[in-house]
Amino acid sequence: MSEGHLSLFYKELEAGRLTGSKCKACGEVFVPPRPLCSRCGGETETVSLKGEGAIESFTVIHVPPVFLKDASPYILALVRLEEGALVMGRLLGYDPSKPEEVKMGLKVRFEALKEKHGEKEETIVAFKPLEA
Amino acid sequence: MLAEGVYIVGAGMTAFSAKLHANKTGRELLVEATWEAVKSVDKGITLHKDVEALFIGYFTPEYYEHQSHIGPLAATWLGLTPKPAFRTEIACASSSAALFAGVTAVASGLYDVVLVAGVEKMTSLETERVTEALALASDDLSESKVGATFPGLYALLAQAYFRRYGATWEQLQRVPIKNHYNGSLNPKAHFQQTIGQMAEKVGKKLGVQYKDELDFLKNSPFNRVVAYPLRLFDCCPISDGAAVAVLASGRAARRFTDTPLRLLGVGLGTDNVALQDRADLTSLVATRNAAEAAYRTADISPKDLDVVEVHDCFTIAEWLAVEDLGLVGRGEAPRAYEEGLTGIEGEIPVNTDGGLKAKGHPVGATGIGMLNEVWHQLRGTAGRRQVKNKAETGLVHNVGGSGASAAVFIFGR
Repeated sequence: MSEGHLSLFYKELEAGRLTGSKCKACGEVFVPPRPLCSRCGGETETVSLKGEGAIESFTVIHVPPVFLKDASPYILALVRLEEGALVMGRLLGYDPSKPEEVKMGLKVRFEALKEKHGEKEETIVAFKPLEA
Repeated sequence: MLAEGVYIVGAGMTAFSAKLHANKTGRELLVEATWEAVKSVDKGITLHKDVEALFIGYFTPEYYEHQSHIGPLAATWLGLTPKPAFRTEIACASSSAALFAGVTAVASGLYDVVLVAGVEKMTSLETERVTEALALASDDLSESKVGATFPGLYALLAQAYFRRYGATWEQLQRVPIKNHYNGSLNPKAHFQQTIGQMAEKVGKKLGVQYKDELDFLKNSPFNRVVAYPLRLFDCCPISDGAAVAVLASGRAARRFTDTPLRLLGVGLGTDNVALQDRADLTSLVATRNAAEAAYRTADISPKDLDVVEVHDCFTIAEWLAVEDLGLVGRGEAPRAYEEGLTGIEGEIPVNTDGGLKAKGHPVGATGIGMLNEVWHQLRGTAGRRQVKNKAETGLVHNVGGSGASAAVFIFGR
């Protein structure tokens, strides 16, 4: 049986690497990887991403889902990677009680974050300020 | 194009509320709304005899009532068995999908009379569990798992909008202030108090006097941050409710009323579920596409609308909606709201019933709940919130999730 795109994504994520897919027809890059381009329906190839980009939007979650009760407040950001894809991740390295210190356009770098969701350990996408 | 005309000959809804329906199930709310719709039919209707099919929106009955297979269940409770009946689901626009199914069924000539409905019985669960149920409308892997909540997703849209247009949270507060005022005129609204009235009440309790509504929204500990920059009053409440409409073909409509509403235009839109897969964070492309199709089928422009119902699950959603529907230009919502353009007495009244914010948002019932408001406004039965100039044309805009689904319907008298 061949590897699913998402199982590959999470295996790579656990190893600290970020993967996406690049459309062979239109060149659009999406995270996580997927067999068909979400923009034009073209076939894709799976690519490794450098994981550097800039913050396009962010929020601070004060009322979290049940499985993250102990983690809140935390910052979520949408980051535009240099490769073009937009990616949602946890923003580390800032105080969630001081959102005014987070700046739009801030340069960040991908990091894999391991955390407990209830009893389960999960690995999720996170970002840290580039200069830190 | 619609091959055959489709008419609305009756509409009804329960009050939307977190308290009133504590001891009722979804199926009972549905019966209550249907009964009102039956009574609204001018020349009378006999459900079992006249209605040929039932389409019903309910987002997550599995969570709230441990129940799927809602179509036949609803048919049983409405005495409609053995008529065709099924459930439709596109998150918060689920009943718009039911309306769409009903419209296409009638427009195709397959049926002459159908019932379309929506319901959500939400308060059976604790708020935390409701939040989980709502999160099912986002991308589980790319969003929920990373810690996104629905207020969080709209907060990300708000921040992107603020950044692009230099708008502020303070300017956005015109939305809940307007919608709570409208809700205060609607006996079926979840909240029937203006924010000023709430400020006075809370102020008395705390021994504080708030200068005005914005002062209260800004400085009251009651208006806590949910997902920065959005606070409690930027979010719609959790409500129970149901809403129903009766659709009829051109040849059947006059049997039921001499003053039906006519469906003029319809459009559906779809976008990628995850925000990270979207092309634009300052606009909902699904709304723009649905609106374009609806204006095209109706052959009218936004200028022709007299009353508009938009999906304001969060305050920023109303700004995006009025822009994406073409009521104002991109980036113009903040100024339009400062000038009162969308008030009941304004040039384009928006959410005269209080919107999701004050009227409430029983998810699956919302789209047909909006149709109920247009039904009343166009027939001149909207009571204290009736728009001034005689409303000839009304629009309903319903969004699923953070904007992956959108439906737009235009009705005329």
